[in-house]
Amino acid sequence: MITCEQVNRTFHGPGGEVRGLSEVSFTVARGEFVAVQGASGSGKSTLLLTLGGMLRPSSGRVVVNGHEFYRLSAAERGRVRAEGIGFVFQLFHLVPYLTVLDNVLAGLPGSVDSTARKRAAALVDEFGLSARAAHSPATLSAGERQRTALARAILKQPAVILADEPTGSLDPENAAAVFRHLAAYQQRGGTVMVVTHGQDAAPFASRTFRLAQGQLAELNASPTAR
Amino acid sequence: MSPLALIWKELWHHRANALLVAGGLALAVALLTVVRLTSVAAERETRRVMRDLGFNLRIIPRDTDMEAFWANGYSDQTLPLDTVPRLAAQHGLFVTFNHLTPTLEHRFPVGGRDALLTGLGLSVIGPGEKKQPLGFVIPKGSVYLGSEVAARLGAKPKSKIELAGRSFTVERVLAESGSDDDIRLYTALEDTQALLGLPGRINEIKAIDCLCLTADQDPLSQLRAVLEKALPEAKVLQLRALSDARAKQRQMAERYAAFAVPGVLLGGALWIGLLTVLNVRERRAEIGLWRALGRSSSQLATLFLGKAALLGLLGAGLGYALGTAVALRFGPDIFKVTAKALEPDFALLGWAALLTPVFAAVSAFLPAMLAVAQDPADSLRAD
Repeated sequence: MITCEQVNRTFHGPGGEVRGLSEVSFTVARGEFVAVQGASGSGKSTLLLTLGGMLRPSSGRVVVNGHEFYRLSAAERGRVRAEGIGFVFQLFHLVPYLTVLDNVLAGLPGSVDSTARKRAAALVDEFGLSARAAHSPATLSAGERQRTALARAILKQPAVILADEPTGSLDPENAAAVFRHLAAYQQRGGTVMVVTHGQDAAPFASRTFRLAQGQLAELNASPTAR
Repeated sequence: MSPLALIWKELWHHRANALLVAGGLALAVALLTVVRLTSVAAERETRRVMRDLGFNLRIIPRDTDMEAFWANGYSDQTLPLDTVPRLAAQHGLFVTFNHLTPTLEHRFPVGGRDALLTGLGLSVIGPGEKKQPLGFVIPKGSVYLGSEVAARLGAKPKSKIELAGRSFTVERVLAESGSDDDIRLYTALEDTQALLGLPGRINEIKAIDCLCLTADQDPLSQLRAVLEKALPEAKVLQLRALSDARAKQRQMAERYAAFAVPGVLLGGALWIGLLTVLNVRERRAEIGLWRALGRSSSQLATLFLGKAALLGLLGAGLGYALGTAVALRFGPDIFKVTAKALEPDFALLGWAALLTPVFAAVSAFLPAMLAVAQDPADSLRAD
């Protein structure tokens, strides 16, 4: 499902060269829940954006859902992303001028028909947001915002969900709820990759990696979670 | 969700930005509407003033004795009447000359004293033009009398007078002018030709100089060069003071339009560009999100350019209404002579509705491209 081969990403700044990712190689199979732990600045977001086709690596190969991403044009990468990858971000990134329901629908690549509206409404209900469906993001709590973002990622039933610090702005209760939703998605056959600075994703993950100074190392494999 | 629905929702969310863009466009359209309507009024008013000043070119037979001409006020030589259509048929003539009006003028005894009998033919104007004729259009059998002649004859409008045994109706008695017009009798050209026994002849073609060059730009040599080619048997005299006044007025009006229109367009473009840049900066995270959701460059550009075009349409309507209201409210105080002719120009509304959205989209193009080129990783990266 996801293959990274010797991926490097170097940034050039006024302070000199910074290695965001260094010789990163791993494979994630379909239906896995993988957690990547790392301190702030360790390269977690760089890894996730690289896997999402939004940050070209300096070298190496990235294959997601059968597509070797960086051999595709930007438009083709956009299409692959629109159809097969769901994103969840720490800062939610909801569209401020859309309602909760419309934000969830914004995740769909094509036109929105009545079936899609019904599915979105059902998802909003499943995520406990029915009463907030017509509200704007500004009026939501952090937990509600992240659940909205999660519903948006799940609605199109992507092959992979990439979550970047999805619980970084949430209290423990809401954080646990987010991981439960991600785990439920994985149990329905989806692939999930979560990067966090803490260990709170580990109990839900089948495998856990640690990222430090751009280098990735596998910590353990959890047969129970798998 | 359709791009239009997204644009509409974003407009409503960022109302202040939208209002500033639409307001800026409305102001620009209003200014251009005022400039356009008042320019038309100013042109109309200038034309009226210039018409009142009269002709500024005199085309006379080349063999005219100039000393006698200036002493009498008319040429002692004549030209055939078909000189006018021959002159008018010259290619490109109306770039230089216009309102070609054949006249025949001679001293003529009236009430025991000499008057200036002047026959006026119909003016010939440039093809396709809708200009009002200069001077008078006098029906056959009628006369316009200068004030001195009318006083001498005791004539009033609708009274009859006799000239060389022929009866004429006094159509108008002209107000005292302080010029030799006060001893003139104007008739239709054919009547003067009959009275003078010069059928089919004229001794002058009065005209207007269209070059609109001031004296220092030496219009006379150009006028003479054109006439020399078209009508070698004639020569042209220019009433310098009138021509100069006309040229200066025309050039002033052109300078005003040349300054105002680009100034308003440039100001408007900068304003929209600046506000779009601010809008793009404010929406960095949103742009990154749309990228993450797989939206293409053209879809992103549509959001910004479509928004600009929609606001352009709104600005066009508001600006036209505002500009027309201002022009109609204050225009009549400025252009008193042609005040009644100031009216809404609906063709201008059509052009505004067509061009303002295009102008707004072009002004927003560079910032929109900045949005499209923005690296989503910059706004989406958490660590």
